[in-house]
Amino acid sequence: MVTDVLVIGGGIVGQVASIELARAGARVTVVDAGINAGSDANAGSLHVQMQSRFIRLYPELVPNVEASLPLYCAAADEWERMDQEIGGLELVRKGGLMLAEDPAQLDFLEGKAAREADMGLRVEMLDRPALERIAPWLGPQIIGAELCSNEGKVNPLAAGLRLRARAKDLGVRFHTDRIRDLSIGRRVKALGEKTTYDADRVVVACAWGAGDIIRSHGAAIPTKAEPLHMNITEPCAASIEQLVQHAERSLTLKQFKSGQIVIGGGWPARDSGPGRVPQVKANSLLGNVSLAAQLVPSIGHVRVLRTWAGMNTTIDGASVIGPLPGMDRVVVAIPGDAGYTLGPLVAKWAAACILGTADQTEIAQFSPARFAA
Amino acid sequence: MSMRHFSFGDSSIAFHDGQSIAAALTGAGERAFRQTGKGETRGMFCGMGVCQDCLVTVNGVPNQRACMTPAAEGLYVDRQVALPVLEDTPPPEKAAPARIVEPDVAIIGGGAAGLEAAIAARAYGASVVLLDERKIAGGQFYKQSASHAPLDGQQAEGQDLVNRAQASGAEIIRSVEVWGAFDGPLFLATVEGAALVVRPRTAIISTGAYERPRMVPGWTLPGVMTTGAAQTLWRSYRTLPGKRIAVCGSGPLNTQVALELAEGGAEVVMVADKAPPPWHAPVTSFKALASDPGLVFKGLTMMRNLQRRGIPMRYRTVLQKVEQVGDHLSAHFLTTGGDTVEMPVDAICMNDGFEPQNEILRLLGAQMRYDNTFGHLRCIRDENMETTVPNVFAAGDCAGLGGAPAARLEGMIAGRVAAEKAGFGDGYDLFAAKRRLARHRRFQTSLWKLHDIKPTFPETTAPDLIICRCEEITLAEVMSGLDSGPGHIGSLKRATRVGMGRCQGRYCGPVAARLVAQVTGRPIEDLSLFAPRVPIKPVAIASILAAHEALTDGD
Repeated sequence: MVTDVLVIGGGIVGQVASIELARAGARVTVVDAGINAGSDANAGSLHVQMQSRFIRLYPELVPNVEASLPLYCAAADEWERMDQEIGGLELVRKGGLMLAEDPAQLDFLEGKAAREADMGLRVEMLDRPALERIAPWLGPQIIGAELCSNEGKVNPLAAGLRLRARAKDLGVRFHTDRIRDLSIGRRVKALGEKTTYDADRVVVACAWGAGDIIRSHGAAIPTKAEPLHMNITEPCAASIEQLVQHAERSLTLKQFKSGQIVIGGGWPARDSGPGRVPQVKANSLLGNVSLAAQLVPSIGHVRVLRTWAGMNTTIDGASVIGPLPGMDRVVVAIPGDAGYTLGPLVAKWAAACILGTADQTEIAQFSPARFAA
Repeated sequence: MSMRHFSFGDSSIAFHDGQSIAAALTGAGERAFRQTGKGETRGMFCGMGVCQDCLVTVNGVPNQRACMTPAAEGLYVDRQVALPVLEDTPPPEKAAPARIVEPDVAIIGGGAAGLEAAIAARAYGASVVLLDERKIAGGQFYKQSASHAPLDGQQAEGQDLVNRAQASGAEIIRSVEVWGAFDGPLFLATVEGAALVVRPRTAIISTGAYERPRMVPGWTLPGVMTTGAAQTLWRSYRTLPGKRIAVCGSGPLNTQVALELAEGGAEVVMVADKAPPPWHAPVTSFKALASDPGLVFKGLTMMRNLQRRGIPMRYRTVLQKVEQVGDHLSAHFLTTGGDTVEMPVDAICMNDGFEPQNEILRLLGAQMRYDNTFGHLRCIRDENMETTVPNVFAAGDCAGLGGAPAARLEGMIAGRVAAEKAGFGDGYDLFAAKRRLARHRRFQTSLWKLHDIKPTFPETTAPDLIICRCEEITLAEVMSGLDSGPGHIGSLKRATRVGMGRCQGRYCGPVAARLVAQVTGRPIEDLSLFAPRVPIKPVAIASILAAHEALTDGD
């Protein structure tokens, strides 16, 4: 199959990149393996402030994350721009609360907020009375919180449908196939399980699957698949507008337009092996939902309808954007942690690399060259 | 029998001991229990805790299934709105202390298979805990009554089985919702708000089946229910689903229930079966007779009694649509000749076959194969009813339809072998039980050949036909969703929300799988259906919290 640009991966990055490229006049083909795409399992949090979960799990990567904070701000803005343009993404930007239950947690948040403010984030500390006004549903043990106004939420199911439809309108073709390897010469041949794709240029936008595809092409990107699980409740009128997180413990909680409450926060699922969906672990389900019930007691009567698990991708705390070292025809676009939030912006920059319009100073720090083999 | 009362909105509803809220409301002529997100009204449909359409608010707590909640003096029951306001709900009550049990054999489901399994495992000295979802054990075949003496031989046989299981020393825990099944096996459940954690050495899954509906325009209207739901109303609660009733679908349950309702005083205006009459298949009928003359005789007696009561039994006749006309329903039937018959009724009962309740088995990773004749999955088992997951057994209809007599034998075999694997008994000779099981299976094969059991969906092309009751997704929406993804049921679900609601895809899932198979040309297998996920049934967050506290206390 011959195409101008082949986009490997049909998640948020692949969709937005294909739209950008098709709009510029390119013939674009998106190929996706059709299973375990991170975007399909994503719960739609738009993360901007540093996640306490990440700080705890990967303390050595915190400097990288902190350096990326302006990227997260710009990425959340990009979502808002996209919602205005395409519509129907159910974007709500009422900010994100990170809760503190004791003075030590509050101190931690104050320090974090100060550093984040320096990086240009819109953050403020709220005491209990201030919280009472915007989040009266919080449990009485919450003594304060950091509010980051940049944060918000989207409905990833709605976004996926809208973006795919937009891409199709622009002539983008979608194929279900798994790319095994690339052969890079005057053109790029991508070897799929069903067929071979012959492209002028390639965007590698397949998150945790990218490491294997480009390992033999000059960059050893340590993409790691992290199976995580999420929970969703039946609908209710709880009026939870913000994205809710905790200063020390793994939690995200938010309410969709449907009235359903989504509870997540990076609790581990069990990898079931290639080609199978990850399984939900009992301890994760119990721990995650119980934590939500403690922080927002009024949801006790609401029932959990469903859980699911999907793959998050971590690298080194920062995104990877740009051409492979010495091979301009292959552009990597892996947002990394909180990849769904970063997805549209990373995709735009990757598309700009293909089109030769990228701002080199802007993307230099994200270049795959840092993993040059 | 003394009548007591609860309130329903502004009305006072009389009930007698043992009735469910749904039965008492139906008896009082109330059919609309809740409002959907799109403003439609819904009532009781499955009558067995599966469809989640009969939700009401009880004493301020929303999301209570009227069919599974016992009526009680002085309750405040309200119709449930689409989005209950959490600030209005009372804080969750402190539930009874959690329990952790570690029996030799855990049995899930107290029907024909589960009760026999309990008796068999106890006979060899294994400790047995049996969990049943209903307030009264017996299951969907024996449908026991809390308050009345047995109606007939079937109910008496069930009562005898329940009594023997109780006398065996098995602990039978009732009103249990098993919502989690994990490797180990580990089961998480809730019993009237309290957490129950079960860590057995061996497990027997005997969760039975639920009914396959006939999806026609209007099948979500209050008053349209499964045939089993109507049977539960009558057999367990002595409540008729209405005065004038039509019964339709395929299979022997419809005939039986039509007769039971008529004997109970209802006017059954029509029994419509989509199959041709049995005398059109004399060889198969003879085979059924040869393998079980007793059951064939029972069937013939039923037919004769229908005739005696003047109940019209129409073959090759199908329900086409249902409409609300004033305070009654109008049922439209299509006959062989292409004529349409329209009948005003209070209630319509439908059964188009069965779907195994195999959620726990699939979650535990037991391998399945698709049975093309029945249109559902069958669990792969060895001759001792053990699944491909060691120490997990499957008995009865949850492993694929087989009927109550076979379920009893399978339960007996599973109970003995599970006990043996837990270290009790020493390889008792199961030859006789296995031979009888083989005979029952031959009978079942002939029986179902006489009925049109294969799912035929789509039976209609009405674009506004509701496929997913919970999310109110129409056939047209599902069809357009088929174009949008890479062509599997997961992408269809994400594109349309089909199967994302409270019943967790139990009704729309098989249909969606068949539509995807039709479009892609791929045969149906285990992976064609929605991926199995916990919770097995919706579970209150307060119950999850209670289970968490029970399991972390000891650490």
